[in-house]
Amino acid sequence: MIPINNFLVLSSVLFSIGMYGVLARRNAVLILMSVELMLQAVSINFITFAAYLDPENFTGIIFAVFVIVIAAAEVGLALAIVLRLFRNRQTANVDEADLMKW
Amino acid sequence: MEQAWLIPAIPAAAFVVLLIAGPYLPRRGDWLSIAAIGASFVLFFPVLFDLVDAINADHEGFVGGVKSWEWISFPGFEIDLGFFVDEITIVMLVVVSFVALMVQIYSVSYMHGDPRYGWYFAVMSLFAASMLTLVLADNLLLMYAAWEGVGFCSFLLIGFWWEKRSAAEAAKKAFVTTRIGDVGFLIGIIMLWREAGTFNIQEIIHFAENGGYDSTYLTAAVLFLFMGAIGKSGQFPLHVWLPDAMEGPTPVSALIHAATMVVAGVYMVARMLPVFVAADAVALDVVTVLGLVTVLMSATMGLAATDIKRVIAYSTLNSLGFMFVALGSQSVTAAMLYLFVHGFFKSLLFLGAGAVIHATEKQDVNELGGLAGKMPVTTLTFLLGVGAMVGIIPLSGFWAKDEVLTVTDSEQSVAIFALVLISVFITALYMTRLFILTFLFEPKDRHAADHAHEGGPLLTVPLILLAIPTVIGGLVVFDSVGEALGFPGGFGQFVWLEEPEKYKFHADIAVMSSAVAVAGVVTGWIAWQGKAELATRVRNAMSPVATLLSRRYYIDDIYQWGINNIVLGVSTIISWFDRVIVNDTGVDGSAGLSYFAGYEIKFTETGRLPNYALGIAAGVVIIGVLLLVFEVKI
Repeated sequence: MIPINNFLVLSSVLFSIGMYGVLARRNAVLILMSVELMLQAVSINFITFAAYLDPENFTGIIFAVFVIVIAAAEVGLALAIVLRLFRNRQTANVDEADLMKW
Repeated sequence: MEQAWLIPAIPAAAFVVLLIAGPYLPRRGDWLSIAAIGASFVLFFPVLFDLVDAINADHEGFVGGVKSWEWISFPGFEIDLGFFVDEITIVMLVVVSFVALMVQIYSVSYMHGDPRYGWYFAVMSLFAASMLTLVLADNLLLMYAAWEGVGFCSFLLIGFWWEKRSAAEAAKKAFVTTRIGDVGFLIGIIMLWREAGTFNIQEIIHFAENGGYDSTYLTAAVLFLFMGAIGKSGQFPLHVWLPDAMEGPTPVSALIHAATMVVAGVYMVARMLPVFVAADAVALDVVTVLGLVTVLMSATMGLAATDIKRVIAYSTLNSLGFMFVALGSQSVTAAMLYLFVHGFFKSLLFLGAGAVIHATEKQDVNELGGLAGKMPVTTLTFLLGVGAMVGIIPLSGFWAKDEVLTVTDSEQSVAIFALVLISVFITALYMTRLFILTFLFEPKDRHAADHAHEGGPLLTVPLILLAIPTVIGGLVVFDSVGEALGFPGGFGQFVWLEEPEKYKFHADIAVMSSAVAVAGVVTGWIAWQGKAELATRVRNAMSPVATLLSRRYYIDDIYQWGINNIVLGVSTIISWFDRVIVNDTGVDGSAGLSYFAGYEIKFTETGRLPNYALGIAAGVVIIGVLLLVFEVKI
């Protein structure tokens, strides 16, 4: 059996890449993609622990399914917002969308 | 007697109607006000007859008629709204309702054409209602409420012409000064209630007579009660408001500041006198001494005052002090008899002064004079009032003054009796001066005197009607007169503290007081006749004394100094504390801190997504590190 650490390392690496993307990228679409990476890292964690710690039940796996559903919905909504942003500003650069401040 | 509550209720209803609908009524509703007080005056008679019947049926044990409703009720704390009629009430009731009626009729002419004519009558109705409630109240709390009510009406009416700065100031002064006494009155009421557990006057008297109170405690309580009387009845040292109260319309002075409100203090002390007697003897000594000081002080100040109304105001203070001397001598009879006749002759004097002011538009006696030929009715009735005040036999004032002198002679030391006699002399002196300067000899302002003329019947008829009791009112002291009217006897057998007394004429005191009074009149005549040469010479020879008197013993100046330096000094500190510490630091300071903090912190809200993302990530990392460091188990 593959040691659990391999999965956890994979998940951590994936999560870190996602986080780096969120923090470093300026393009809204790329940030969204990075968020997807982070979400999938979490899903991997869920499935891993489900398989290793409690194989009889599907709790963790169901959570992964939920995450996928919510990610899909979230992306649908977020892309619509990005689309509006692009329409109004002719850019998807989040640095330029700084109206929500003092 | 059950319907006695209607007596104050009718003017109260009239006030409400006048307040709401007054401007729409014909003649601005003056007839409604007069009709209401007239109805109260008429209703007085069935109450009187009931009372006399009750007394005659059960002479010994009679304690007055009672009617009361439950007003406020908590477990262990009950206040009844009650009305109580006994002999003292009756005496006060007839004075209030009769004088109020006369004054309101007189006011129709006197106040004619005033822009606030309707408001004047509305307040007069409110005053009548409050005053009658005060008289009829069977418990101290209701009495206190009415007590404040009359004080408020007095404030409104003194400041009736509030456009005039002096009138507004006088109203404020009267209100604040009497309030000082009222606070004491309230403390006294609470002290009496705390031990007795009731506000009912009869029950408190009963409780006190049975030794329910500790002697020192009771003495303190009655002295606080007396503070209220000092304020309301203008006794030294709170007498300063009454002369200034003359800024109000003259009929107001006649009603409120002569016949009714100012005697409320006398009435209250007379009512509570059994409690005063039950207290330490010091209490009654205080009453006597303050009354005596007021008598002498006001009499001498009356010598120097030049405003016709102020002179009469000083004579009112004089009379009030007289009543307190009688009360201090434990004589309800003498005090109430003086109160009874004083109400008539003093309001007569004021209304006469009002007629003079109405005719000449002058009220300084140095600008008056020579009016006797022009205004015969006013002159004659005024002369009767002066005679009663001086105490000339057989006018009403003589009998009342004699009663006071008799009880002073029998109850007090010779020194006090002598001082009272001196005050009688000074009273005669300044009343003569007032009459001479106003009505006799050469007018000092010929123009004003030439245009003077007698007012209409609305002015003169009340004068004549008031002159009647002024002349014959004192005869009620005689047992035969009382019996003829259906009373159990003379005044002494109707109003008494311990037991009814048959009237005894004390020839020695009567002769002595008459001699003193006549001497005063003669001295006054010699001093002020013609061009008042003697008086001028005496005044010039004793100019420091004259200044002292005309500056009212500098008491007003001392109070003003105290207000300026002590009251305002302390309040400056308090207001500084309030402004700087409480407001600027406490309230504005904390608000300013929040505002400043919010202003500074808002710049962290950049609106840029990566900043927030970094914040979230950093937060998670920090929390994770902290959890690891402190090894918290989740």
